[in-house]
Amino acid sequence: MTAEAVREPVREPVFPGRGAPAGAFAGAAGGLVWGAAMLSLGTLPDVAVLAGSSAPWLGFVLNMAIAVTVGAGFGLLAAHQRIRSSELLFWGLAYGVFWWFLGTLTLLPLLSGTPMTWSLDAAQAAVPSLLGHLYYGAVTAVGFALLQRDGGSVARDHLRPRTLLRGLLAAVIVGGLLVLAFGAGAGARLGWLPAVAVCMGVGYPLLFTGRAEGTGPAIVRGTAYGFLWWVVAGLTLTPLLDDGGLDWSQPAVADAATRLPPYLLAGAGIAAVFGWLGSLARALFVDDVRLRNRAIGTRGLRVVGYGALSGLVGGILFGLVWGAVDVLTTVAKLVGAGGDVAGWIVHLLIAQGIGVSYALLFRGRGYDLVSGVGWGLSYGFFWWVFGGLTLMPAVLDVPLWWTAPTIAADFASLIGHLAYGGALGAVHAWLEHRENPWWLARSDLEAARATARREQVLGSAPALWILTALIALTIPVMVAGT
Amino acid sequence: MGSGLASGLAVGALMASQNLLASHGTYGWAVFALYAAVVGELLGVFVGRRPSGLAVSAAGGLLLGLLGWTVWWLTLSPWLRGTSPTWSVEAATAVYPELVGSLLQGTLAGMLFHVAARRLPGRPANPEKPAPRVVIVGGGFGGVSAARRFERLNLRGHRIDVTLISDSNYLLFTPMLAEVASGGLEERHISSPVRAAASHTRFRHGRVAGVDVARRRVVLESGGEAVGYEHLVLAVGSVPHFPELPGVAEHALTLKSLADAVRLRDRVLALLERADQEADPAERRRLLTFVVAGGGFAGTESVAELYDLTHDVLHFYPAIDPDEPRFVLVHTEERILPELSDRLGDYALTKLRARGIEFRLGARATAATGRSVRLDSGEVIETATFVWTAGNRSNPLLRILPGESGRRGSVVVDRTLRAFELDRVWAIGDCAQIPAEDGALYPPTAQHATREGKAVADNIAAVLGGQRPHPFRFRTIGTFVALGHRTAAGEIRGRPFSGLVAWLLWRGIYLAKLPGVERRVRVLLDWVLDAAFPRDIVVTGPPADAPAPLPGQGAR
Repeated sequence: MTAEAVREPVREPVFPGRGAPAGAFAGAAGGLVWGAAMLSLGTLPDVAVLAGSSAPWLGFVLNMAIAVTVGAGFGLLAAHQRIRSSELLFWGLAYGVFWWFLGTLTLLPLLSGTPMTWSLDAAQAAVPSLLGHLYYGAVTAVGFALLQRDGGSVARDHLRPRTLLRGLLAAVIVGGLLVLAFGAGAGARLGWLPAVAVCMGVGYPLLFTGRAEGTGPAIVRGTAYGFLWWVVAGLTLTPLLDDGGLDWSQPAVADAATRLPPYLLAGAGIAAVFGWLGSLARALFVDDVRLRNRAIGTRGLRVVGYGALSGLVGGILFGLVWGAVDVLTTVAKLVGAGGDVAGWIVHLLIAQGIGVSYALLFRGRGYDLVSGVGWGLSYGFFWWVFGGLTLMPAVLDVPLWWTAPTIAADFASLIGHLAYGGALGAVHAWLEHRENPWWLARSDLEAARATARREQVLGSAPALWILTALIALTIPVMVAGT
Repeated sequence: MGSGLASGLAVGALMASQNLLASHGTYGWAVFALYAAVVGELLGVFVGRRPSGLAVSAAGGLLLGLLGWTVWWLTLSPWLRGTSPTWSVEAATAVYPELVGSLLQGTLAGMLFHVAARRLPGRPANPEKPAPRVVIVGGGFGGVSAARRFERLNLRGHRIDVTLISDSNYLLFTPMLAEVASGGLEERHISSPVRAAASHTRFRHGRVAGVDVARRRVVLESGGEAVGYEHLVLAVGSVPHFPELPGVAEHALTLKSLADAVRLRDRVLALLERADQEADPAERRRLLTFVVAGGGFAGTESVAELYDLTHDVLHFYPAIDPDEPRFVLVHTEERILPELSDRLGDYALTKLRARGIEFRLGARATAATGRSVRLDSGEVIETATFVWTAGNRSNPLLRILPGESGRRGSVVVDRTLRAFELDRVWAIGDCAQIPAEDGALYPPTAQHATREGKAVADNIAAVLGGQRPHPFRFRTIGTFVALGHRTAAGEIRGRPFSGLVAWLLWRGIYLAKLPGVERRVRVLLDWVLDAAFPRDIVVTGPPADAPAPLPGQGAR
């Protein structure tokens, strides 16, 4: 019982000695894309300021130099963290957004001698840079993955027709459901999303491994995936096709925020359905029992109890936020009641229901408080989009809160959902650890297996948590003042 | 806290230099540093003792920064200034610089923490001592309960290496054993693997041949392997005890294990097969006579379940008249079920008598052959089935232990469950003689063994921690005995129950006590199917005796 599962198994690095150079090369590719975007946006002189000039060519050169350096840092990080090729994309996106905070909002003003304000106005003015950093991170990550030893084989592995078909089927199902619920066409709420969803469905298995990962993590991954497609389709391709140029200004982003919730929902839906279809296929067609997934973590009725208790704790925290901003009476209206007491009861019941779903979907995936809070926060954000912005107004029979002003008005709800998710994840991780201490192993072999599983489960998870948190925190940047 | 403070000072100084903390007064940087120190203090708890990489630690720091901004700057800060937090976009806009600062500070703190955490393990010069090893012998209620308690104690910071040795790899839920004998339940449904019940305990499937108390080691039967221990918990249970009665040990069936239950069921069904073809009335009567010795829980439940089994399947045997099967319970005292009150004992007796079960009270079985049982009254009962539940004694393994033996060969322990005269040996369950506060002995029931298992684990952990062990105290919650079809008797905290209510309580309570949801569902399904379909009469074991030739047929 004492062999600690934390012992690192002896494992060859995925790409020995190729971290920084490959990262620099991939960073150059990312820098080219970002440079092209800046050329289109006319913001290259902003970078040239670092050299005391306003020449666009100098801005481009400086941009490339920075991109190569930051890319090398990404390569070192990826090599040190031993991130698998198929999980690099979200790490790249999170890395890009982080560098927006560190580079654009902090270092650029400091180095160029202008005041560093970290204000919302400054952040809103730097929204084009935020999107550029996202592209830079994504391209760098993909380039870095392709440069790795296993990059080619991973890519070929993702190109299997059956997996692509599964993605397409998932997209058709989710797209169909969205159309049934909200209507299709350019004039409707979804815009071109149903058509984009097909690309999302085919792209999902192309970008990510087809490995079974559970519905909970799939929803979190899919939400971030939906955000990526909103940036690609909603903020980039649409203005390019419509106007022939990019418009990443804050007002344009706020305008496009109307389509952000359905993109997030579509991403989460496609990821979840893709996983379910995979499980169904395995159940029907795979005859090798070694490939069956064994449930890890709390089992039986206890998982329901743990989920309800965790949800209750998170719900009380959330309820305090909603009580302070007088929303509980609105919650009571969900069941045709009125008053704060009814609101509390309905709210806590919903909180426990979501808590149970969390316990079922994320069991055995909270390895410490970080992972518990990470999954919880991400799940809370998803429920803000699905429950707060979509279901609640739908049940109350009012227009969906998908516009920039309603999203801004619902910011307290976002904070409440994040607090709920964080508390839910933390309490559940604590409860689960009391019963299922993954780090206590009876032999070195078991310890190595537990550690390997932890690394597998948490492959791209921290990047997903960071990305989800940063998406949540850029909400005010996108919609404030509208 | 160091990483938090360092990062807080760095980011705080940066913000102060850019005049971003002016709204927090002259010492805004100090406020930020204080906030960062709190974040740093939480970081260790948050990221955990097992950080899995720089990026993960940085992610943890960033998430903590987000939470810190929400709690501190968005909620507590306005509250401390006397204004109600609104969590609106406008409020978030007002403290957006703090958000960026919190994120960067959290990320920096996470990275610093990771670097510090990686350096720390190299510092201690002396390697950790191996954890003290506790060996539990026996995988019954007591042993498994102790193992599970040790697992919980390890979660609370104790370091105890526990090995459980048992000759069966499952925990048997003995209260339902009689129902397996009657075919009402599938045999595997009332047992749970030890490996599943105590999933973080080392398990050794094997029989213990001896205990070397002086050298503190347990010797396994296979290969003579020795397993050392610092503390030994004996939870080996009991075995049927046959007094020096001629033929009883050779011819009596017992009901202590799953194999016993299956053997008894198969025997009853095989005898019904034979009786259905038997033309000799005397032989038929012998084949259809079932004698149970012992009027305690096991004996009473056995005779009731045998009665139910026989009459439930009789429609498959058209040549047997329902009046032919005969059931006899032999008991040395004047009333059955001494564990229950007189009233409930009388109730059970009346109920079973009303079904036609015969009782020989105040009588004792003195001898048995393959064809009959002799009582001390001189009566000889011709029977082919003799079930012995009239006595248990401790496991033979205990005979080799030095020191004083208690009732029926059990280990005599003090009130803390520690064996007298045996260093670092503890005993629980049926194999231990445990004195209660009033000097009486605790009864050998599952509910006691379970509590004793927890208590012995706590006491061993206390002793290992240099503390004094605590006396074991437990008051019986209740006991129930099933009396066959829809009838039971029992009491909870002295309150009596009988009939259908008791039967429902019996089923509900024992169903809830079964280990694991899976087993509960399986048993529940067995009960539902048993109510809807006739009992299965498939016999997979060997015939009870050589099959009798049909009339008119000679031996081939």
